[in-house]
Parts: sequence; structure tokens; C-alpha cells
Amino acid sequence: MKNIIKIDDVRYPKLLKKINSPPEKLYYKGNWDASIFEHCLAVVGSRRMSTYGKLITNKLVSGIARAGISIISGFMFGIDATAHKAALEAGGRTIAVMPCGIDIIHPQYQETLYKQILESKGLIVSELESSFPPALWTYPRRNRIVAGLSQATMVVEAGSKSGSLITAGFARKYKRRLFAVPGPLTSVLSNGTIQLIKEGAEIVTSTEDVLAVYGFDVGAGLVPARRNGRPQGSPLQKLSKLEQSIVRKLQEEPMEIDALTRSVRTSASEIGTALSLMQLKGIVFEERGKYYIKAG
Amino acid sequence: MLIKVCSASNSGLETIGIDVEVNVANRGLPAFEIVGLPSKAVDESRERVKTAIINSNIPFPAKRIIVNLAPADVPKEGSFCDLPIAVGILAATMDCELPKRSLFFGELSLDGTLRHTRGALLLSLFAKEKGIKNIFVPKASANEAAVIKGVNVYPIESLSQLLRYLLTQAPLEPAKYREVKNNQTVVQAEFDMAEILGQEQAKRAMEISAAGGHNFFMVGSPGSGKTMLARALPGILPTLTERESLEVTKIYSASGRIPPDGSVIKIRPFRTPHHTTSQVGLIGGGSRPQPGEVSLAHRGVLFLDEFNEFPRGVLETLRQPMEDGYLTISRSKERVRYPSQFILVASANPCPCGYLYHPKKPCLCTQREIEKYKKRISGPLLDRIDLQIELPVVDVKELSEDERLGSTSTSSAEIRARIVRARQVQKNRFKENGIYTNAEMRNVHIKKYCCLSKEVKQLLLQAAMAFQVSARSYFKMIKVAQTIADLEGSKNISVSHMAEALQYRPKIQVREI
Repeated sequence: MKNIIKIDDVRYPKLLKKINSPPEKLYYKGNWDASIFEHCLAVVGSRRMSTYGKLITNKLVSGIARAGISIISGFMFGIDATAHKAALEAGGRTIAVMPCGIDIIHPQYQETLYKQILESKGLIVSELESSFPPALWTYPRRNRIVAGLSQATMVVEAGSKSGSLITAGFARKYKRRLFAVPGPLTSVLSNGTIQLIKEGAEIVTSTEDVLAVYGFDVGAGLVPARRNGRPQGSPLQKLSKLEQSIVRKLQEEPMEIDALTRSVRTSASEIGTALSLMQLKGIVFEERGKYYIKAG
Repeated sequence: MLIKVCSASNSGLETIGIDVEVNVANRGLPAFEIVGLPSKAVDESRERVKTAIINSNIPFPAKRIIVNLAPADVPKEGSFCDLPIAVGILAATMDCELPKRSLFFGELSLDGTLRHTRGALLLSLFAKEKGIKNIFVPKASANEAAVIKGVNVYPIESLSQLLRYLLTQAPLEPAKYREVKNNQTVVQAEFDMAEILGQEQAKRAMEISAAGGHNFFMVGSPGSGKTMLARALPGILPTLTERESLEVTKIYSASGRIPPDGSVIKIRPFRTPHHTTSQVGLIGGGSRPQPGEVSLAHRGVLFLDEFNEFPRGVLETLRQPMEDGYLTISRSKERVRYPSQFILVASANPCPCGYLYHPKKPCLCTQREIEKYKKRISGPLLDRIDLQIELPVVDVKELSEDERLGSTSTSSAEIRARIVRARQVQKNRFKENGIYTNAEMRNVHIKKYCCLSKEVKQLLLQAAMAFQVSARSYFKMIKVAQTIADLEGSKNISVSHMAEALQYRPKIQVREI
């Protein structure tokens, strides 16, 4: 079976046809179902994502994907992979546009993700043939397809020279909507997104901001967000005094144990004990040494 | 005339009795031969003995002297044979009586004085074991030998002094017995714990590590204080007990690391081999197996800075000594067993450039480099490290601010007092088991001593599922929880002890990037 869609095929995505130099043929893996191209959002960002980037990508993408919008990205590690994963976890569909032939899994260690995408009715797409190796020039070429397939592009985190800015550039060129997720000004990973915002990209602060663009009736018909099995109501009341003050501190900003020890003014041993228990209860979680409040 | 002088030869930490048979024959051409598998150093004894006797103004017999080192088929190593051979010759020519039930041991200098000789403590232990009452050793080695009760250690300065004693039988003053008990030596470390700003969790982990003998791995960016923490560690280690002291000194004595006039080692070893150390350097070896860093760190700390920079092959050899607490080095000529019960303290950067996840400096490493760097330490090795923590980057400015506001840091002395208490609890607990610390517990010991309540068990199981820990880590967490309970003076492991122990579970290399 030859999995090729030529440009004159009726099944060729219409949006992609409109760009300046659409790919002559698209190689693909998976079940080609035209409906997957109906509502598409490109989610791109830095390979070197921060924990904030990971959290916010998960949060935004899962809501968007759940609403039935296909998430398109470039299968690279970092924000790309996180976006794919978040879409899959939310039960949505996702398309990975490869910078190489579709038979190459690049990066190799994301093989599980590659398989998962195919298993959940997603697509692996490339304009390059079967085992074409990735090269420096294939990435920017790939980015035009990512932008071209989507009604809108959302950049989560990007350094000042990030490839995500190239994708954003294409989106603007093709007159598609461009979203940027604001990040902390102190992070180098915000330089690119801040630049985009200054240049007029729309700011995303919630799933609704994106869904509105696709004409989705926000609030109705959406599957309610999955709860993490945490007791509802006012959870703060059931916590011990120490746990309450930890929660209050972490709500301000994520912290390491040492920082918490200093600001709550107790021993590292007590803080550690409390955090372990809170982690098992699902109140907080830990990433790269810092503790975060689990969003309920 | 045939004279038999008793001595002993060391091989590793074991000692075998050697009979030095000296025959001075009146017939035959004058000669001086040594038979009985002498090594190069022993064979050269001939010239040293001859010259030393002549230089002591004692006539050297122009007769046929044959020296046999029995048992003849055991290889002998070292220069300890000088004294027994010389004593044999003197006894034969001067016709004097040798003291009974005595061992002679020592190296001669050409001027007739005796030099510090390695292995004097082992000799003393051997004498005690065999019921030999007197040992004659060089004066410089007497302090080292005089720690065993019931063995008279006679310090010998020179051949002429010894000869006078042999001829006149005038009483010789034995070296003063040096008691090892009640060791109160306190080490002044390079840094006091109170001097280290921030790193509260790391300090706590170090306290647990020192209290229970747990291995400890810290990962952090340059400047987070890894080395400083490690350098502060000697200041909180408990002093060596009598038995531990002898164990350590044996290793140092056997490898000739006790200085002249030195006695038993009273402070815990703190070894810091560089990452270019070879495999033999780390675990020991050689055709005559010598102890490596792991054995020299016995009952103390082996600090491996830049853990990931050690060649992987070298690191993997640590696995067995870490697990068993001893290691056997087998060579064609000898098989030697050295103890190696040490606390491994390792430190590493999170990536080759060191700034992965650093809040201010960007990391310059590629994904591949980071993967490669992490892979240098194998899972099984990491699995043997009980306490693992990541050090956050310290903002000195912010910390000094906090310091000014009166955040109280505990001093090394206070921490040490807690640790000493916890060690005492462990000592009493393991009285009949031949182990000293919680980290040494085997699964049978855990079953016997660590009773987990239903709630604790439930918490542990829940954590094991949530954090995907290996079976070995599961038991490690119980051991760590036990130490935390001991530090608190609590009899049983409570939920909060276990919850704290979870903080130090292996997670560093498990992270996705």
C-alpha cells in the first residue's frame, strides 16, 4: 500500500493547498481521514522547555484537543512532544509532521510516542520519502507544513532564535491566526514569545481563547475536565496547619524544599515529610526539584 | 649450630607464623644463603644483615650461614625478616639464649638501627591469637603494636641494644599499652555545617547518611555547594569504636600507611580519590594485592567528586564491595580479602556543562550529550545509593538576607551529638549480628528489626507504586526510615519517618528531560 497523497488528490488538505509552495506529495502513516484536517491547531515551542512550559502546554492542549481540535506539531522533544502527548492523553487526535522520511523515527527514543500517535487515529506526515534523513534545512521546510495545515498556530515557549519563530512567521505569512503564550519575563525561553506578542500575536491565557477562534461554543458540549480524584469542596480545611502554609506558599510560586524550609521556617525534615504525604495524596507534585500545586 | 627464631609474615590481612632457621656451620666455605621462597626484599636481607652487624661493631662470623624460612613453600614478602635473621646469627655466634614464646620482626638499617616496618599491628594480633607473649619490634612501630592487651611489645632501637639484652638478660621495658577505648577524638572539619548557607535538605540528608551509614548522591550545578558539604562531613562523623578502630588500622598497617611512631587510627577515614583513579587504585589489586581506596575508606567515607567523570568500568567495580562490605582480590599467587564497609558520598553535575535547569545560565549541552553523561552511571549502581538529592542553586544574596533575619543553622557539634546517639541505638540493636549500622542490614535483619505498622506499610506500598521503585529501593527506604526513627529516638518507624525517607528515593536519573 502506497501511502501517498498527491496535490491533485481530492483528499489533499485544502488549507495546505493555499500556501505558496505546497508540497507536491505528502507521505503519511496512519488512517487518512479528511475530518482530522477540519480543525487544526499547530502547537510549537522550545526543545528546552521549562517546567512552566510543560505545565501550561499540558493544560491548554488537553482542553483544546478534548474539544475536538487536532493538534499539529513537529515531533521534536520539548514542547512539541508534550503537545502530542497532552493531545493523546485528552483522547484527541494529533498529527506529527516529520523533518525526515516517515519511516525514520526522529528522535529515536520517542518511539513509544510515535506508536501511540498512530494507535489513536493520528497521522505521521512528511513531504520527504520513506527513509530520507533529517538535515538542517528540512526543519524550516517542515515548519511551513505545520503552519500550513493549521487555522492557527500557538507558540508556547521560544528562545530568541527558536525554530518556533520560523513556524510563527509562516503562519503570519499565510494569514493564519497566531497565538503566543506569555511566559515569565525572567526566562530566556520567553524572549521569542514576548517578541511575537509585541509584534501583534494574540495572547492566550486559557483554552477558551483558542476555542473561540474555531467557533466552538465555549462552555457547552464540552466534556468536563477530569478531576484528579481529589476531595472536592474546600480542600484547604482538611489539611494540617503546616500543609496549609505549604499550599499557600506554593500557590504564590513553585519552590524547592530548601526555599520552603526558609519561608515556612521549619526544618527540612518536617517539610520533606509533609511534602511526601501531600504528593501521595495528590495535592502537590514535583518537577526538577521544585514543588507545584496540582491543578484541581 | 642451629637456631630457630620465630617471626610472622603478612599476606593481605592474614598472618602466618614463620620459623627462621639459622644454621652457622663451622665446616665448609664461608657463605650466607637464604632459602625458602624469599622475595627480592627478603633476599636482599643478606646484605643488610651483614652490614648492620658489622656496623654495630659486632664481629660477623666467617662461617657457612644458611637461613631457611619455614614453611618453605609459602612466599614471603617484605623486609621484616632482617631482625629474626640477625638475631639468629647473633645467638649462634654469641651463644646466648633467646627469650621463649617470642616473635622478632623488623627491618634493619645499614647502621644497625631498626626501621619502622609495616604490619606491626597484624603481628601483635597474631601473637595474641597464638598465645605468644612477647614481640620484639622496631621502636618506631611499637606504638602501633602496643594496642593489644596481653602482648608485651618490646621496642628495639638497635642491634647492639638487643644484643646487650640477650647477653645480660637485663629487663627490658615493654612499650606502654595504649588503650583504644573511649575514643573522644573530635575532627575539626574544613567547614562547620552552620557555615553552609541554605541546602537545608542536603544537610539533613548528610546527617541521615552519617547516622545510618547510608550512601549518598548529590547532583547540582557548579557552586551549589556540593564539595563544601562533603568537606563538612568529617566534622559530623561519629568517632571510631574500639573494634572499628582496629579494623581500620589493620588495613593501614598491612599496606604500610601507618607513619613511624604512629598508633591506631582514631578518626574515620575520608578518602577523596580523583576521577582519573584506575580500577586497581579504587578497589585494590596488584600481583601482591594491595588494598584500594574502597578498603582504605573502610568504616569511613569514600567521596567521589565528579561521579560521572569516573570511567564506567571503574564505577561498576564498586557494586560488589558496596553490597557485601568486603571484597576478595584473587591473583595467581594470592587471594586476599579486604573489608570495604564505607559510606559512598558522590557528587555530580546535572549535565556536562553543569547548568541544566539553572535559573540564570543557559545549558549549552545537546540532548545527546546529556543522555550520554547520565548513562555513565548504571541503574544497578544508582540502585545501591540510599539517599539521592538534587541541590538547588543557591542565591547567596537572598540567603544572607535570610541569615540576617535569624534563620538558625545547626552546628556540626549539635548534629554530631544526634548522630552519636543514633549510632548507639544501632550498636545495641545489632549486638548479635556483627554489623554496626542500618545501611548494613540484610533483608533478614530488616524483617527482624524493622517492624512496620499497617499504616506505614500501606504508605510504602502506595509510594512504591506511585514512584515506581525497584525491590532493592523498597528495602533501602525502610533502612533510611529506620535511621530517621533512630535519630529521633523513636522505637518504631512511624508514618512521618517513612514519608521523609521517601524524599531521598532514587529519582535523579529517572527523570525525563
